[in-house]
Formats: sequence, C-alpha cells, structure tokens
Amino acid sequence: MEKVFTIKKLNLKYGEKTALLDINMDIPKNEITALIGPSGCGKSTLLRTLNRMNDLIENCHVKGDIKYEGNDIFSKDFDVIDLRTNVGMVFQKPNPFPMSIFDNVAYGPRCQGVKDKKILQETVIQALKNAALYDEVRDRLKESAKELSGGQQQRLCIARAIAMRPDVILMDEPTSALDPIATAKIEDLILELKQKYTIVIVTHNMQQAARISDNTAFLLMGELIEYDKTDKIFSNPAKAKTEEYITGRFG
Amino acid sequence: MTYRTQFDSELDNLKLNLIRMSDLVIRNITDALHSFINMNSELAERIIKEDKLVNDFEYSIEKECMRIILREQPVAKDLRLITSVLKMITDLERIGDHAVDLSRLTVFMEKSEGNFNLPQIKLMIDVCEEMIRLALDSFVNKDINMAKEVIDKDDLVDDYFEEIKQLVVKAIKENNISADYSIYLMMAAKYLERIGDHAVNLAEWVIFSITGEHQ
Repeated sequence: MEKVFTIKKLNLKYGEKTALLDINMDIPKNEITALIGPSGCGKSTLLRTLNRMNDLIENCHVKGDIKYEGNDIFSKDFDVIDLRTNVGMVFQKPNPFPMSIFDNVAYGPRCQGVKDKKILQETVIQALKNAALYDEVRDRLKESAKELSGGQQQRLCIARAIAMRPDVILMDEPTSALDPIATAKIEDLILELKQKYTIVIVTHNMQQAARISDNTAFLLMGELIEYDKTDKIFSNPAKAKTEEYITGRFG
Repeated sequence: MTYRTQFDSELDNLKLNLIRMSDLVIRNITDALHSFINMNSELAERIIKEDKLVNDFEYSIEKECMRIILREQPVAKDLRLITSVLKMITDLERIGDHAVDLSRLTVFMEKSEGNFNLPQIKLMIDVCEEMIRLALDSFVNKDINMAKEVIDKDDLVDDYFEEIKQLVVKAIKENNISADYSIYLMMAAKYLERIGDHAVNLAEWVIFSITGEHQ
C-alpha cells in the first residue's frame, strides 16, 4: 500500500482546548478515506490539518508529524503554497467565485501564472470533463457560476480543485447541502476521481461513507478510536464505541 | 442517552418471534420423534397439519427483516443479527419440514408390517433434540461455547447414522427386515442426520451474529 500521508502523534489545540489527541494514521494513495464521528470530534480539524488550512486560525497549536509524500509538512523549508496546490479542498457549501464558469476554473491556473489562452482553455475543459460537468455547461461557459444549481456548483468547485492538478482532494461534507440526485452524482464522481486522485472525505452520512470509501476512520472527542477498511468498520468493528456510533446508539 | 429506541424494540421483537418459531419447531420435532418411536399416527397427523404455522412464522419474520433493513438500514451487530435471523428461519423451517417427513413415515410404518427396533434411532433422536435446544439457547444467551457444543455433537449424529446404515444392511442380508421397513428406517435416519446438519447451521449463524465470522 502506497501512502500519501503519514500522520504520527498528531496533537492539535485551539487555545487550551484539545481538538486532536495523539492521532496516528496513514492515508493510502488512490483510495477514498472517510472521516466519521459526531460533531466536534475533530474530523474537519484533521482534514484541514492535511493542507495546513488550520494555519489561518488564531491560537491553533499543532504538535506531531504529518508527512506528505515523505516530506514533513510542518518543516520550515516546506512550501505551504505547493502543499495547497497538491492537496486541494472542496467545502461543505459550494462556494463559486462571483465570476463566469470558465473563470472560476481558470482562476487557480491563472494564479499559478498560466497566461496562454489555449492552455487555459484546455485545462478548464479537461477539469470540467473530469468533474462530470462539461456536458451540462459547454454552451454557457461565459455565464455566471451563480446561475448553476447547487449540485452543479459543487461539481464546479471540484473542477476548480482539479484544475490545479492536485494529488489529493480533501472534501469536507461535500454533499450535505445537496439533494439526493445531486448527492448521487457527486458520489459517482468521487468514485471516478479515485482513479487519479487520493480522496479524504469528512461525512456525517454513514451510508455515504459505507457506499463510497475504502477506509474509514472513526474519531471521538479528538481521538482516533478506530481506523480500518470500510467493510470491516461497517460489518464488524473492533471497538464497542465505533459500533455504538455507527449503529446510531449515540452521537 | 441511548437513541434508536424504536429500532431496539423492533430488534427485540424480531428475536422474540424467532424464539416463538423455534419453540413451535422444537415442539413439532419432539412430538414427531416421539410419534415415530411410539408409532403414534394420531400425533403424527397433528404435526403434519401444524407445519403451516411454521411456514407462516418464516414468512412473517422474513417480511419483518426486510422491513427493518429497508427502514433502519442496519449495520454492524444489527446487520449481523438480522442476517442471522434470515438464515436461521430457513433452517428452522427445514427442521419443521423434517418433522412432517418423520410424521408421514410414522403413518406409513404403523400400517406396514414388520418391526425392527434399533436403539440407535432413539439415541439419534435424543442428540438431535438436544442440538436444536442448545442452538436456540446459544442464540438467547449469545453463548459461543454453547453454539460450538452443537457443532461438535453433529459428529455423534453422523456416527449413529453410519451405525444404523450398517445394521440395516446386515438385517437385509440376513432377511430379518422387510424391504418397506428397511427403506423407512433409512429414510428416518437420513431425516435425523439432516436435522443435525440444520442444527449445526443454526449454531454457525449464532456464532456469526456474535463474532462476524462464519465458518
């Protein structure tokens, strides 16, 4: 199993409040890893730590190691911009920029200095195709992204992440604001994306975790209670707490 | 605080219905075995009629399992329990069918001429009865050791079956048994051997519901 991230003894505090406690886990390449657990368990914090989004939060203190492709992401020499280029993120609520569909997807490559119109055109179209959105928007690339439906906006955000040519895509409850059909489309897309990218997804929907992920990590009050193959977690978890949570006995 | 109280009570109800079905099957099989030993065709006729109740139980429990899967989307121990119940009712129904088979044999044998007593049949009956009871108890008490005991006892049933086969063959060769009677006896022994196998299946599903591992 090839690992993209190796997490060792990760501890994170917001001020005095412990959010993550001694987390040890590996994220395998080209697999979907789901982070589950009740609200406030630390799953979104863990996700955001993987591309150092927590750096933006005041009073956030991190201890321990996270290695991305063997490199320590907290070392002084490590380029955070590079990390965030390689490790893209999709949020709970679709957040298209107030610009055209085309410009939304082209935004990242332009920031990276791509100016050639032909290259930009190709990058945008390919990203939209990979995000299973191109066929629906091919005739209105110049229209505002705000005109798209919620599900289309979320796929646009995925296309925007893909346009940066990342290795990993982090998804923080990407379907929680979507209806069942839009959710199904995103789930199909996630399974498709697995061929090219490593995906880490935070979800409150346990059926979703069971349907799409290869590995599932269960967190509770900042601790990693259990981390195993998804089939094992949902059929015969090793820990009683995991079983109580996934069977809906608490949470 | 515990959630899903309705789901929990549905699961309790499911277990209760499985126990009720098991009780009925145990009663039928015990009566069938005794009717067979004592050649009581009146009792045998009642068992044949009561098989419909066993089939009705299987149908209603199966329907309830499907409903729970649909409505509650169970996982982990809940899913294992429901899967086990779905498999166990099939074995219980088959045991019920064998109670009917044995009862039909009783009716035939009472009418047929000949008498050939084999103590091994009675011994086989006793082991089979005990295996079914133990399997049910292991389910109620979630007791893996009890379930394993059921699996171990099957060797005894198989040994008795082999012994009966040898004795019937010997009796045929020595002309001590009629053709009809020898066939009926072997059929009875085979039904008992199959009942032993179904009891083993029950025990294996009990173990699966507890451990998640099926042998």
